[in-house]
Amino acid sequence: MNFDVTIVYILEILVGGLLVGIGVHFVPVGGAPAAMAQASGIGTGTVQLAAGSGLTGLLAAGLMMSVTDNIWIILASGAVGAGIMIGSTMLTGSWIYAYAVGVPPASAKVNYDPITGFSQPPYVAPGTVGQGIPTICFVSGLIGGMMGGLGGAMIYYPLYLINGNAALSAMFAIGIFLVNAVIASWNIQGTIEGFHDPKFKKWPFAFKACAIASILLALASVLITGGA
Amino acid sequence: MSVGGAAGGAPSAYDPKKLRMYGLVGSVVGIYLGSILNTAFDTNAFSFIGAIAAIFAVVMGANAVRRVCAYGIGTGVPSIGMLALGMGIIAVMFGLSVAESLGFGLLGPIITVVYAGVFGYIIGVIANRVIKFNIPVMEEGNADLSMAGALAILGWSFAISGTLGYADIVNDVLMTGYIAIIFIAGGLAILHPFNACLGPDEKQDRTLVNAVMCAGIAMITTGIAALMTQGLGAGLLQLVIGFAIWFYFFMMYYRLVKRDASAVVGTGLLPPTVQ
Repeated sequence: MNFDVTIVYILEILVGGLLVGIGVHFVPVGGAPAAMAQASGIGTGTVQLAAGSGLTGLLAAGLMMSVTDNIWIILASGAVGAGIMIGSTMLTGSWIYAYAVGVPPASAKVNYDPITGFSQPPYVAPGTVGQGIPTICFVSGLIGGMMGGLGGAMIYYPLYLINGNAALSAMFAIGIFLVNAVIASWNIQGTIEGFHDPKFKKWPFAFKACAIASILLALASVLITGGA
Repeated sequence: MSVGGAAGGAPSAYDPKKLRMYGLVGSVVGIYLGSILNTAFDTNAFSFIGAIAAIFAVVMGANAVRRVCAYGIGTGVPSIGMLALGMGIIAVMFGLSVAESLGFGLLGPIITVVYAGVFGYIIGVIANRVIKFNIPVMEEGNADLSMAGALAILGWSFAISGTLGYADIVNDVLMTGYIAIIFIAGGLAILHPFNACLGPDEKQDRTLVNAVMCAGIAMITTGIAALMTQGLGAGLLQLVIGFAIWFYFFMMYYRLVKRDASAVVGTGLLPPTVQ
Protein backbone atom coordinates (compact mmCIF):
# COMPACT_ATOMS: atom_id res chain seq x y z
CA MET A 1 0.00 0.00 0.00
CA ASN A 2 1.46 3.32 -1.10
CA PHE A 3 1.41 5.74 1.81
CA ASP A 4 1.04 8.99 -0.16
CA VAL A 5 -1.81 7.62 -2.24
CA THR A 6 -3.53 6.33 0.90
CA ILE A 7 -3.44 9.81 2.43
CA VAL A 8 -5.11 11.18 -0.71
CA TYR A 9 -7.82 8.49 -0.48
CA ILE A 10 -8.46 9.32 3.18
CA LEU A 11 -8.73 13.02 2.34
CA GLU A 12 -11.13 12.33 -0.53
CA ILE A 13 -13.40 10.28 1.73
CA LEU A 14 -13.21 13.00 4.40
CA VAL A 15 -14.18 15.73 1.93
CA GLY A 16 -16.96 13.50 0.58
CA GLY A 17 -18.35 12.96 4.08
CA LEU A 18 -18.23 16.69 4.80
CA LEU A 19 -20.02 17.49 1.53
CA VAL A 20 -22.79 15.05 2.48
CA GLY A 21 -23.07 16.53 5.97
CA ILE A 22 -23.23 20.13 4.77
CA GLY A 23 -25.41 19.23 1.78
CA VAL A 24 -28.12 17.97 4.12
CA HIS A 25 -28.42 21.50 5.51
CA PHE A 26 -29.41 22.83 2.06
CA VAL A 27 -32.17 20.32 1.36
CA PRO A 28 -35.63 21.63 2.35
CA VAL A 29 -36.60 18.80 4.71
CA GLY A 30 -40.14 19.34 5.94
CA GLY A 31 -40.69 16.09 7.79
CA ALA A 32 -44.16 15.07 8.92
CA PRO A 33 -45.54 18.67 9.14
CA ALA A 34 -44.69 19.23 5.47
CA ALA A 35 -46.44 16.00 4.55
CA MET A 36 -49.58 17.59 6.00
CA ALA A 37 -48.80 20.87 4.18
CA GLN A 38 -48.25 22.70 7.47
CA ALA A 39 -44.58 23.54 6.88
CA SER A 40 -42.62 24.29 3.74
CA GLY A 41 -40.26 21.71 2.31
CA ILE A 42 -40.48 18.15 1.07
CA GLY A 43 -42.73 15.99 3.20
CA THR A 44 -40.34 13.33 4.40
CA GLY A 45 -37.33 12.85 6.66
CA THR A 46 -33.75 13.88 6.06
CA VAL A 47 -32.40 10.38 5.86
CA GLN A 48 -34.82 9.34 3.14
CA LEU A 49 -34.03 12.43 1.08
CA ALA A 50 -30.30 12.30 1.64
CA ALA A 51 -30.20 8.57 0.98
CA GLY A 52 -32.32 8.98 -2.15
CA SER A 53 -30.23 11.71 -3.69
CA GLY A 54 -26.98 10.16 -2.50
CA LEU A 55 -27.76 6.73 -3.91
CA THR A 56 -28.79 8.21 -7.25
CA GLY A 57 -25.53 10.12 -7.28
CA LEU A 58 -23.67 6.93 -6.45
CA LEU A 59 -25.37 5.05 -9.29
CA ALA A 60 -24.65 7.87 -11.74
CA ALA A 61 -21.01 7.99 -10.63
CA GLY A 62 -20.68 4.21 -10.80
CA LEU A 63 -22.13 4.13 -14.30
CA MET A 64 -19.77 6.87 -15.46
CA MET A 65 -16.89 5.04 -13.80
CA SER A 66 -17.51 2.00 -15.98
CA VAL A 67 -16.67 4.02 -19.10
CA THR A 68 -14.01 6.46 -17.90
CA ASP A 69 -11.63 6.95 -15.01
CA ASN A 70 -11.44 10.72 -15.24
CA ILE A 71 -12.30 11.85 -11.70
CA TRP A 72 -13.85 15.19 -12.74
CA ILE A 73 -16.35 13.62 -15.11
CA ILE A 74 -17.27 11.00 -12.49
CA LEU A 75 -17.79 13.64 -9.81
CA ALA A 76 -19.85 15.80 -12.17
CA SER A 77 -21.96 12.78 -13.11
CA GLY A 78 -22.64 12.00 -9.45
CA ALA A 79 -23.61 15.61 -8.71
CA VAL A 80 -25.90 15.91 -11.72
CA GLY A 81 -27.56 12.54 -11.02
CA ALA A 82 -28.37 13.50 -7.44
CA GLY A 83 -29.47 16.97 -8.57
CA ILE A 84 -31.92 15.47 -11.08
CA MET A 85 -33.32 13.15 -8.44
CA ILE A 86 -33.92 15.80 -5.82
CA GLY A 87 -35.12 18.28 -8.47
CA SER A 88 -37.74 15.89 -9.84
CA THR A 89 -38.85 15.03 -6.30
CA MET A 90 -39.38 18.71 -5.51
CA LEU A 91 -41.08 19.37 -8.85
CA THR A 92 -43.63 16.57 -8.51
CA GLY A 93 -44.01 17.47 -4.84
CA SER A 94 -44.88 21.03 -5.88
CA TRP A 95 -47.51 19.75 -8.33
CA ILE A 96 -49.13 17.74 -5.58
CA TYR A 97 -49.07 20.68 -3.15
CA ALA A 98 -50.42 23.07 -5.79
CA TYR A 99 -53.01 20.92 -7.57
CA ALA A 100 -53.97 18.17 -5.13
CA VAL A 101 -53.58 19.71 -1.68
CA GLY A 102 -54.37 23.17 -3.05
CA VAL A 103 -51.88 25.35 -1.19
CA PRO A 104 -49.67 28.15 -2.59
CA PRO A 105 -45.94 27.59 -2.02
CA ALA A 106 -44.84 30.04 0.67
CA SER A 107 -42.09 30.29 3.23
CA ALA A 108 -42.68 31.55 6.77
CA LYS A 109 -38.98 32.00 7.50
CA VAL A 110 -38.47 35.06 5.24
CA ASN A 111 -40.72 38.02 4.37
CA TYR A 112 -39.54 38.25 0.77
CA ASP A 113 -38.24 35.39 -1.29
CA PRO A 114 -34.54 36.32 -1.73
CA ILE A 115 -34.53 35.09 -5.34
CA THR A 116 -37.85 36.18 -6.81
CA GLY A 117 -38.54 39.01 -4.36
CA PHE A 118 -42.16 37.88 -3.94
CA SER A 119 -43.88 38.70 -0.69
CA GLN A 120 -44.45 35.59 1.42
CA PRO A 121 -46.54 36.32 4.57
CA PRO A 122 -49.92 36.89 2.79
CA TYR A 123 -49.77 33.37 1.40
CA VAL A 124 -48.82 31.56 4.60
CA ALA A 125 -51.94 29.93 6.00
CA PRO A 126 -52.67 30.87 9.63
CA GLY A 127 -51.34 28.36 12.12
CA THR A 128 -48.76 26.93 9.74
CA VAL A 129 -45.11 27.70 9.06
CA GLY A 130 -45.45 27.88 5.30
CA GLN A 131 -46.37 25.20 2.84
CA GLY A 132 -45.20 23.78 -0.47
CA ILE A 133 -41.78 24.36 -1.97
CA PRO A 134 -41.15 28.06 -2.77
CA THR A 135 -38.42 29.08 -5.23
CA ILE A 136 -35.79 29.69 -2.59
CA CYS A 137 -36.30 26.20 -1.14
CA PHE A 138 -36.16 24.66 -4.62
CA VAL A 139 -32.85 26.35 -5.44
CA SER A 140 -31.42 25.49 -2.04
CA GLY A 141 -32.55 21.88 -2.43
CA LEU A 142 -30.88 21.61 -5.83
CA ILE A 143 -27.61 22.86 -4.34
CA GLY A 144 -27.94 20.42 -1.43
CA GLY A 145 -28.75 17.46 -3.64
CA MET A 146 -25.81 18.18 -5.91
CA MET A 147 -23.50 18.50 -2.90
CA GLY A 148 -24.79 15.15 -1.62
CA GLY A 149 -24.22 13.47 -4.99
CA LEU A 150 -20.79 15.02 -5.29
CA GLY A 151 -19.97 13.75 -1.79
CA GLY A 152 -21.27 10.27 -2.60
CA ALA A 153 -19.20 10.10 -5.78
CA MET A 154 -16.18 11.42 -3.91
CA ILE A 155 -16.54 8.60 -1.36
CA TYR A 156 -17.18 5.94 -4.01
CA TYR A 157 -14.27 6.86 -6.28
CA PRO A 158 -11.37 6.23 -3.84
CA LEU A 159 -13.12 3.16 -2.40
CA TYR A 160 -13.32 1.62 -5.85
CA LEU A 161 -9.66 2.38 -6.44
CA ILE A 162 -8.74 0.78 -3.10
CA ASN A 163 -10.62 -2.52 -3.41
CA GLY A 164 -11.62 -2.74 -7.07
CA ASN A 165 -15.00 -4.24 -6.20
CA ALA A 166 -17.98 -2.15 -7.29
CA ALA A 167 -20.61 -3.82 -5.05
CA LEU A 168 -18.44 -3.63 -1.96
CA SER A 169 -17.50 0.00 -2.63
CA ALA A 170 -21.13 0.94 -3.17
CA MET A 171 -22.30 -0.63 0.11
CA PHE A 172 -19.41 0.90 1.98
CA ALA A 173 -20.16 4.29 0.45
CA ILE A 174 -23.82 3.93 1.48
CA GLY A 175 -22.70 3.21 5.04
CA ILE A 176 -20.46 6.30 5.16
CA PHE A 177 -23.22 8.32 3.52
CA LEU A 178 -25.90 7.28 6.04
CA VAL A 179 -23.70 7.97 9.07
CA ASN A 180 -22.92 11.50 7.86
CA ALA A 181 -26.50 12.20 6.77
CA VAL A 182 -27.94 11.11 10.12
CA ILE A 183 -25.43 13.17 12.12
CA ALA A 184 -26.26 16.22 10.00
CA SER A 185 -29.99 15.62 10.35
CA TRP A 186 -29.63 15.47 14.11
CA ASN A 187 -27.93 18.85 13.92
CA ILE A 188 -30.93 20.46 12.19
CA GLN A 189 -33.28 18.55 14.49
CA GLY A 190 -35.29 17.06 11.69
CA THR A 191 -36.50 20.01 9.63
CA ILE A 192 -34.95 22.90 7.73
CA GLU A 193 -36.04 25.07 4.80
CA GLY A 194 -32.70 25.75 3.12
CA PHE A 195 -29.87 28.20 3.39
CA HIS A 196 -32.19 31.07 4.34
CA ASP A 197 -33.41 29.19 7.43
CA PRO A 198 -31.97 30.46 10.77
CA LYS A 199 -31.10 26.84 11.62
CA PHE A 200 -28.62 26.86 8.74
CA LYS A 201 -26.23 28.86 10.96
CA LYS A 202 -25.67 25.69 13.00
CA TRP A 203 -23.69 24.06 10.19
CA PRO A 204 -20.27 24.35 11.94
CA PHE A 205 -21.43 21.78 14.51
CA ALA A 206 -22.26 19.30 11.79
CA PHE A 207 -18.98 20.14 10.06
CA LYS A 208 -17.01 19.18 13.17
CA ALA A 209 -19.07 16.08 13.90
CA CYS A 210 -18.95 14.80 10.30
CA ALA A 211 -15.21 15.48 10.14
CA ILE A 212 -14.54 13.26 13.16
CA ALA A 213 -16.87 10.50 11.96
CA SER A 214 -15.56 10.60 8.36
CA ILE A 215 -11.93 10.35 9.44
CA LEU A 216 -12.70 7.24 11.48
CA LEU A 217 -14.66 5.71 8.61
CA ALA A 218 -11.93 6.59 6.12
CA LEU A 219 -9.28 4.91 8.27
CA ALA A 220 -11.39 1.75 8.31
CA SER A 221 -12.12 1.86 4.60
CA VAL A 222 -8.52 2.08 3.40
CA LEU A 223 -7.81 -1.17 5.26
CA ILE A 224 -10.41 -3.34 3.53
CA THR A 225 -9.63 -5.44 0.50
CA GLY A 226 -11.80 -6.48 -2.41
CA GLY A 227 -12.02 -10.14 -1.42
CA ALA A 228 -11.81 -12.93 -3.99
CA MET B 1 -49.28 -8.25 34.32
CA SER B 2 -46.33 -6.29 35.66
CA VAL B 3 -43.97 -6.93 32.77
CA GLY B 4 -44.39 -4.05 30.35
CA GLY B 5 -42.76 -0.89 31.67
CA ALA B 6 -43.54 2.32 29.79
CA ALA B 7 -41.14 4.55 27.85
CA GLY B 8 -40.22 8.17 28.62
CA GLY B 9 -36.79 7.89 30.21
CA ALA B 10 -37.54 4.26 29.40
CA PRO B 11 -38.16 2.41 32.66
CA SER B 12 -38.21 -1.19 31.63
CA ALA B 13 -38.98 -4.65 32.88
CA TYR B 14 -35.94 -6.17 31.21
CA ASP B 15 -32.69 -4.55 32.24
CA PRO B 16 -30.80 -3.10 29.24
CA LYS B 17 -27.50 -4.50 30.57
CA LYS B 18 -28.94 -8.02 30.62
CA LEU B 19 -30.45 -7.60 27.17
CA ARG B 20 -27.08 -6.38 25.89
CA MET B 21 -25.32 -9.41 27.38
CA TYR B 22 -27.87 -11.82 25.90
CA GLY B 23 -27.73 -10.00 22.56
CA LEU B 24 -23.95 -9.99 22.27
CA VAL B 25 -23.31 -13.47 23.63
CA GLY B 26 -26.30 -15.01 21.87
CA SER B 27 -25.47 -13.67 18.44
CA VAL B 28 -21.68 -14.14 18.57
CA VAL B 29 -22.02 -17.69 19.92
CA GLY B 30 -24.76 -18.43 17.40
CA ILE B 31 -22.71 -17.24 14.44
CA TYR B 32 -19.70 -19.27 15.57
CA LEU B 33 -21.85 -22.31 16.32
CA GLY B 34 -23.39 -22.23 12.85
CA SER B 35 -20.01 -21.77 11.24
CA ILE B 36 -18.38 -24.59 13.22
CA LEU B 37 -21.28 -27.01 12.63
CA ASN B 38 -21.29 -26.20 8.92
CA THR B 39 -17.56 -26.87 8.66
CA ALA B 40 -17.57 -29.96 10.90
CA PHE B 41 -20.35 -31.76 9.01
CA ASP B 42 -19.31 -30.33 5.64
CA THR B 43 -22.83 -29.11 4.90
CA ASN B 44 -24.73 -25.85 4.86
CA ALA B 45 -27.85 -27.08 6.64
CA PHE B 46 -26.87 -25.17 9.77
CA SER B 47 -26.80 -21.77 8.08
CA PHE B 48 -30.20 -20.98 9.61
CA ILE B 49 -28.45 -20.63 12.99
CA GLY B 50 -26.94 -17.40 11.66
CA ALA B 51 -30.40 -15.94 11.13
CA ILE B 52 -31.46 -17.08 14.60
CA ALA B 53 -28.33 -15.47 16.05
CA ALA B 54 -29.34 -12.24 14.33
CA ILE B 55 -32.60 -12.25 16.34
CA PHE B 56 -30.63 -11.76 19.56
CA ALA B 57 -28.84 -8.80 18.02
CA VAL B 58 -32.11 -7.36 16.71
CA VAL B 59 -33.73 -7.49 20.15
CA MET B 60 -30.72 -5.72 21.65
CA GLY B 61 -30.86 -3.10 18.88
CA ALA B 62 -34.61 -2.56 19.21
CA ASN B 63 -34.18 -2.03 22.94
CA ALA B 64 -31.41 0.52 22.28
CA VAL B 65 -33.63 2.35 19.76
CA ARG B 66 -36.35 2.40 22.39
CA ARG B 67 -34.08 3.85 25.05
CA VAL B 68 -32.56 6.56 22.86
CA CYS B 69 -35.70 7.54 20.98
CA ALA B 70 -37.79 7.76 24.16
CA TYR B 71 -35.98 11.10 24.68
CA GLY B 72 -37.10 12.37 21.27
CA ILE B 73 -34.39 12.97 18.68
CA GLY B 74 -36.45 15.15 16.34
CA THR B 75 -35.59 13.30 13.14
CA GLY B 76 -37.87 10.32 13.49
CA VAL B 77 -37.03 6.80 14.58
CA PRO B 78 -36.05 5.54 11.07
CA SER B 79 -32.97 7.76 11.03
CA ILE B 80 -31.41 5.95 13.96
CA GLY B 81 -32.18 2.53 12.48
CA MET B 82 -30.45 3.52 9.25
CA LEU B 83 -27.52 4.85 11.27
CA ALA B 84 -27.28 1.48 13.05
CA LEU B 85 -27.17 -0.42 9.77
CA GLY B 86 -24.77 2.10 8.21
CA MET B 87 -22.34 1.69 11.09
CA GLY B 88 -22.98 -2.05 11.07
CA ILE B 89 -22.16 -2.66 7.41
CA ILE B 90 -18.86 -0.82 7.73
CA ALA B 91 -17.95 -2.75 10.87
CA VAL B 92 -18.78 -6.10 9.24
CA MET B 93 -16.73 -5.44 6.11
CA PHE B 94 -13.87 -4.04 8.16
CA GLY B 95 -13.89 -6.92 10.66
CA LEU B 96 -14.05 -9.73 8.11
CA SER B 97 -11.52 -8.13 5.77
CA VAL B 98 -8.98 -7.35 8.49
CA ALA B 99 -9.35 -10.82 10.03
CA GLU B 100 -8.72 -12.36 6.62
CA SER B 101 -5.70 -10.13 5.98
CA LEU B 102 -4.24 -11.05 9.36
CA GLY B 103 -4.70 -14.73 8.57
CA PHE B 104 -7.22 -15.43 11.35
CA GLY B 105 -10.48 -15.70 9.41
CA LEU B 106 -12.35 -16.93 12.48
CA LEU B 107 -11.58 -13.75 14.43
CA GLY B 108 -13.83 -11.76 12.07
CA PRO B 109 -16.94 -11.50 14.28
CA ILE B 110 -14.87 -10.43 17.31
CA ILE B 111 -13.07 -7.66 15.41
CA THR B 112 -16.43 -6.61 13.97
CA VAL B 113 -18.03 -6.28 17.41
CA VAL B 114 -15.09 -4.39 18.88
CA TYR B 115 -14.88 -1.93 15.99
CA ALA B 116 -18.68 -1.45 16.00
CA GLY B 117 -18.76 -0.83 19.75
CA VAL B 118 -15.93 1.69 19.72
CA PHE B 119 -17.23 3.51 16.63
CA GLY B 120 -20.80 3.62 17.97
CA TYR B 121 -19.59 5.01 21.28
CA ILE B 122 -17.62 7.74 19.48
CA ILE B 123 -20.70 8.68 17.41
CA GLY B 124 -22.63 8.91 20.69
CA VAL B 125 -19.96 11.18 22.19
CA ILE B 126 -20.05 13.36 19.05
CA ALA B 127 -23.84 13.59 19.26
CA ASN B 128 -23.75 14.67 22.89
CA ARG B 129 -20.66 16.90 22.89
CA VAL B 130 -20.57 18.46 19.42
CA ILE B 131 -24.23 18.48 18.38
CA LYS B 132 -25.29 19.04 22.02
CA PHE B 133 -28.02 16.44 22.25
CA ASN B 134 -27.57 15.90 25.99
CA ILE B 135 -29.29 12.53 26.00
CA PRO B 136 -27.77 10.60 28.93
CA VAL B 137 -27.94 7.18 27.26
CA MET B 138 -26.71 8.39 23.85
CA GLU B 139 -23.16 6.93 24.06
CA GLU B 140 -24.33 3.60 25.43
CA GLY B 141 -27.29 3.47 23.09
CA ASN B 142 -25.24 4.19 19.99
CA ALA B 143 -22.63 1.59 20.93
CA ASP B 144 -25.44 -0.95 21.40
CA LEU B 145 -27.04 0.04 18.12
CA SER B 146 -23.83 -0.17 16.20
CA MET B 147 -22.99 -3.61 17.62
CA ALA B 148 -26.55 -4.81 17.04
CA GLY B 149 -26.54 -3.61 13.43
CA ALA B 150 -23.17 -5.23 12.77
CA LEU B 151 -24.07 -8.56 14.36
CA ALA B 152 -27.45 -8.69 12.65
CA ILE B 153 -25.88 -8.04 9.24
CA LEU B 154 -23.17 -10.61 9.98
CA GLY B 155 -25.73 -13.21 11.09
CA TRP B 156 -27.90 -12.78 8.00
CA SER B 157 -24.87 -12.67 5.71
CA PHE B 158 -23.77 -15.98 7.22
CA ALA B 159 -27.28 -17.35 6.76
CA ILE B 160 -27.09 -16.50 3.05
CA SER B 161 -23.50 -17.52 2.29
CA GLY B 162 -23.08 -20.42 4.74
CA THR B 163 -19.48 -19.53 5.62
CA LEU B 164 -17.70 -16.74 7.43
CA GLY B 165 -14.97 -16.39 4.77
CA TYR B 166 -14.65 -12.81 3.58
CA ALA B 167 -14.35 -13.75 -0.11
CA ASP B 168 -17.44 -15.99 0.10
CA ILE B 169 -19.53 -13.30 1.79
CA VAL B 170 -18.41 -10.74 -0.79
CA ASN B 171 -19.30 -13.10 -3.63
CA ASP B 172 -22.56 -14.53 -2.26
CA VAL B 173 -24.01 -11.56 -0.43
CA LEU B 174 -22.52 -8.37 -1.85
CA MET B 175 -21.96 -9.15 -5.51
CA THR B 176 -25.41 -10.74 -5.80
CA GLY B 177 -27.08 -7.69 -4.25
CA TYR B 178 -28.74 -9.62 -1.40
CA ILE B 179 -27.01 -7.16 0.93
CA ALA B 180 -29.66 -4.62 -0.07
CA ILE B 181 -32.41 -6.96 1.18
CA ILE B 182 -30.51 -7.52 4.41
CA PHE B 183 -30.03 -3.78 4.74
CA ILE B 184 -33.70 -2.90 4.48
CA ALA B 185 -35.20 -5.97 6.19
CA GLY B 186 -32.63 -5.61 8.96
CA GLY B 187 -33.19 -1.89 9.27
CA LEU B 188 -36.91 -2.52 9.61
CA ALA B 189 -36.36 -5.18 12.26
CA ILE B 190 -34.33 -2.74 14.37
CA LEU B 191 -36.20 0.53 13.80
CA HIS B 192 -39.75 -0.58 13.16
CA PRO B 193 -40.67 -2.01 16.59
CA PHE B 194 -40.34 1.26 18.47
CA ASN B 195 -41.65 3.26 15.51
CA ALA B 196 -44.79 1.13 15.52
CA CYS B 197 -45.33 0.98 19.28
CA LEU B 198 -44.18 4.42 20.42
CA GLY B 199 -46.51 6.56 22.43
CA PRO B 200 -47.54 6.98 26.04
CA ASP B 201 -48.76 3.38 26.24
CA GLU B 202 -45.57 1.86 24.81
CA LYS B 203 -44.60 -1.32 26.67
CA GLN B 204 -41.17 -2.89 26.48
CA ASP B 205 -42.32 -6.48 26.04
CA ARG B 206 -44.67 -5.56 23.19
CA THR B 207 -41.91 -3.64 21.39
CA LEU B 208 -39.41 -6.46 21.75
CA VAL B 209 -41.88 -9.12 20.62
CA ASN B 210 -42.47 -6.98 17.54
CA ALA B 211 -38.69 -6.98 16.98
CA VAL B 212 -38.54 -10.78 17.06
CA MET B 213 -41.47 -10.87 14.66
CA CYS B 214 -39.70 -8.56 12.18
CA ALA B 215 -36.51 -10.61 12.52
CA GLY B 216 -38.62 -13.64 11.55
CA ILE B 217 -39.69 -11.82 8.36
CA ALA B 218 -36.05 -10.99 7.67
CA MET B 219 -35.24 -14.69 8.12
CA ILE B 220 -37.86 -15.58 5.51
CA THR B 221 -36.18 -13.20 3.05
CA THR B 222 -32.70 -14.58 3.79
CA GLY B 223 -34.21 -18.06 3.30
CA ILE B 224 -35.35 -17.06 -0.19
CA ALA B 225 -31.87 -15.71 -0.90
CA ALA B 226 -30.31 -18.91 0.51
CA LEU B 227 -32.39 -20.95 -1.96
CA MET B 228 -30.32 -19.32 -4.68
CA THR B 229 -26.92 -19.50 -3.03
CA GLN B 230 -27.01 -22.74 -1.00
CA GLY B 231 -29.60 -24.88 -2.68
CA LEU B 232 -33.04 -26.20 -1.82
CA GLY B 233 -32.38 -27.93 1.52
CA ALA B 234 -30.69 -25.13 3.45
CA GLY B 235 -32.95 -22.49 1.93
CA LEU B 236 -36.23 -24.27 2.65
CA LEU B 237 -35.17 -25.04 6.22
CA GLN B 238 -34.55 -21.32 6.80
CA LEU B 239 -37.81 -20.35 5.13
CA VAL B 240 -39.84 -22.74 7.28
CA ILE B 241 -38.13 -21.80 10.55
CA GLY B 242 -38.44 -18.11 9.69
CA PHE B 243 -42.12 -18.50 8.94
CA ALA B 244 -42.68 -20.40 12.20
CA ILE B 245 -40.91 -17.67 14.20
CA TRP B 246 -42.87 -14.96 12.45
CA PHE B 247 -46.21 -16.72 12.97
CA TYR B 248 -45.63 -17.55 16.64
CA PHE B 249 -44.47 -14.05 17.55
CA PHE B 250 -47.13 -12.41 15.43
CA MET B 251 -49.81 -14.20 17.45
CA MET B 252 -47.97 -13.27 20.63
CA TYR B 253 -47.79 -9.64 19.50
CA TYR B 254 -51.49 -9.63 18.71
CA ARG B 255 -52.20 -10.97 22.20
CA LEU B 256 -50.08 -8.21 23.76
CA VAL B 257 -51.82 -5.58 21.62
CA LYS B 258 -55.18 -6.82 22.89
CA ARG B 259 -53.80 -6.79 26.46
CA ASP B 260 -52.66 -3.15 26.19
CA ALA B 261 -55.58 -1.79 24.18
CA SER B 262 -58.43 -0.27 26.12
CA ALA B 263 -60.87 -2.00 23.78
CA VAL B 264 -60.71 -4.00 20.55
CA VAL B 265 -63.73 -3.46 18.33
CA GLY B 266 -64.47 -4.40 14.75
CA THR B 267 -64.94 -1.48 12.37
CA GLY B 268 -66.57 -3.50 9.63
CA LEU B 269 -65.40 -3.76 6.06
CA LEU B 270 -65.31 -1.03 3.45
CA PRO B 271 -67.71 0.48 2.44
CA PRO B 272 -68.71 1.47 5.98
CA THR B 273 -71.55 -0.59 7.37
CA VAL B 274 -73.76 0.26 10.31
CA GLN B 275 -72.55 -1.75 13.33
